[in-house]
Amino acid sequence: MESFEGNIELREIQRLEGHTDRVWSLAWNPATGHAGIPLSFASCSGDKTVRIWEQNLTSGLWNCKAVLEETHTRTVRSCAWSPSGKLLATASFDATTAIWENVGGDFDCVSTLEGHENEVKGVSWNASGSLLATCGRDKSVWIWEVQPGNEFECVSVLQGHTQDVKMVQWHPTVDILFSCSYDNNVKVWADEGDSDDWQCVQTLGEPNNGHTSTVWALSFNARGDKMVTCSDDLTLKVWETDNTVMQSGDGFAPWRHVCSLSGYHDRTIFSVHWSREGIIASGAADDAIRLFVESNENSADGSRYKLLLKKEKAHDMDVNSVQWSPGEKRLLASASDDGTIKVWELVSPSQC
Amino acid sequence: MALFDSTINLEQTHYTEGYDEGHKDGQIAGKEEGREVGLKTGFEVGEELGFYKGCVDVWNSAIRVDPNCFSSRVKLGIKQMKELLEKYPIMDPENLQVQEIMDSLRLKFKMVCSSLHVRLEYDGYPKSSADTHDIEF
Repeated sequence: MESFEGNIELREIQRLEGHTDRVWSLAWNPATGHAGIPLSFASCSGDKTVRIWEQNLTSGLWNCKAVLEETHTRTVRSCAWSPSGKLLATASFDATTAIWENVGGDFDCVSTLEGHENEVKGVSWNASGSLLATCGRDKSVWIWEVQPGNEFECVSVLQGHTQDVKMVQWHPTVDILFSCSYDNNVKVWADEGDSDDWQCVQTLGEPNNGHTSTVWALSFNARGDKMVTCSDDLTLKVWETDNTVMQSGDGFAPWRHVCSLSGYHDRTIFSVHWSREGIIASGAADDAIRLFVESNENSADGSRYKLLLKKEKAHDMDVNSVQWSPGEKRLLASASDDGTIKVWELVSPSQC
Repeated sequence: MALFDSTINLEQTHYTEGYDEGHKDGQIAGKEEGREVGLKTGFEVGEELGFYKGCVDVWNSAIRVDPNCFSSRVKLGIKQMKELLEKYPIMDPENLQVQEIMDSLRLKFKMVCSSLHVRLEYDGYPKSSADTHDIEF
């Protein structure tokens, strides 16, 4: 990894307006940004809609290409693209998860997953796109299997969290599921036996150097052997596992705490995302975006990560979601309670 | 001094009498109250188990008519529900397994309903979390 020295800068490319309520979450379409396909992402909001944004290849500017509405009857809290970029899943406070099919830029709702008792808060596809996980206020995590004809069948309902589950995230390469909750824990779930036997295989909580308040989000590094979590306890925590054991499939490779990044945030950290080249972005309730990188020298708090930059007043209100783009450029999108989305580019002076 | 014995014991005597009377009344009232709670809880449990049994019977009838009407995963869920219903110790309410079996039943029921795209309920169907009107985030 190259070092990020000097006056690196997070430059605002565009401020996107359209949502009429707070914007909760963002998801870049993984099948865009290469081979001449313009970059695209989805955003979801308290205004009950989902918007699809696409970059114009000529002007480089972003336009809203579609508004997905009149399906969800309450806040859309989270969205996720299938690995192929063909399907978009949206989780809503109306207790349903909708599946939208992308047909040449038009989006049709092809399936609605019902099962959660109330607010659905998180949704995630596994690496192959064969499984979908959802989580919510009813403290449960549901795993769904994609069937032919856009049918989704419930494989398992996972109960273990004692409070609201804020987010679910599949591991980037292995079928292991991670969930984080208002109960301060991160839980790791795996299919233990023959089939459909999903069990909690590890709980990362306070006794093993975990968080002491709500865990809002988590993200993996490119190799998938490190994970970063963010919390209401004002820290980011980095965890790692034995990649060889995990990839071999011979039993479960437990995760262990590496370090905590404390002293950088003074308000709740809602979102964290690890870029392919190793930059950790965080979005917090102090309206700022911060970037961290691994460093060779040990810092004061013993962590091996240092603050690369802090963008104050990135938004007028809480930053709910930060997501790095696929493709060549170092683009970051952020979503906020102020109802806007911003697209940023990380530039170093030499590129100016 | 024997003259004052009864006076000295007066407080104790009143206390004992009062206690006995209260205990007797309490036993009657408590038994009545317990009976009411028992009837209510027993009815609720019976109603819920009966509801699940009814659903399982109808689904199994459908499977007998057309063995391929449901996916194997749904059929497994229905089978597991049937086993749980048979295992439920109806005549032994103090059995510690009661809650565990009921929780598993509710879970399997939710999964089967979700896969069949049906929402089945009856008046008084238990909702695990009461709907509160707090701010959501």
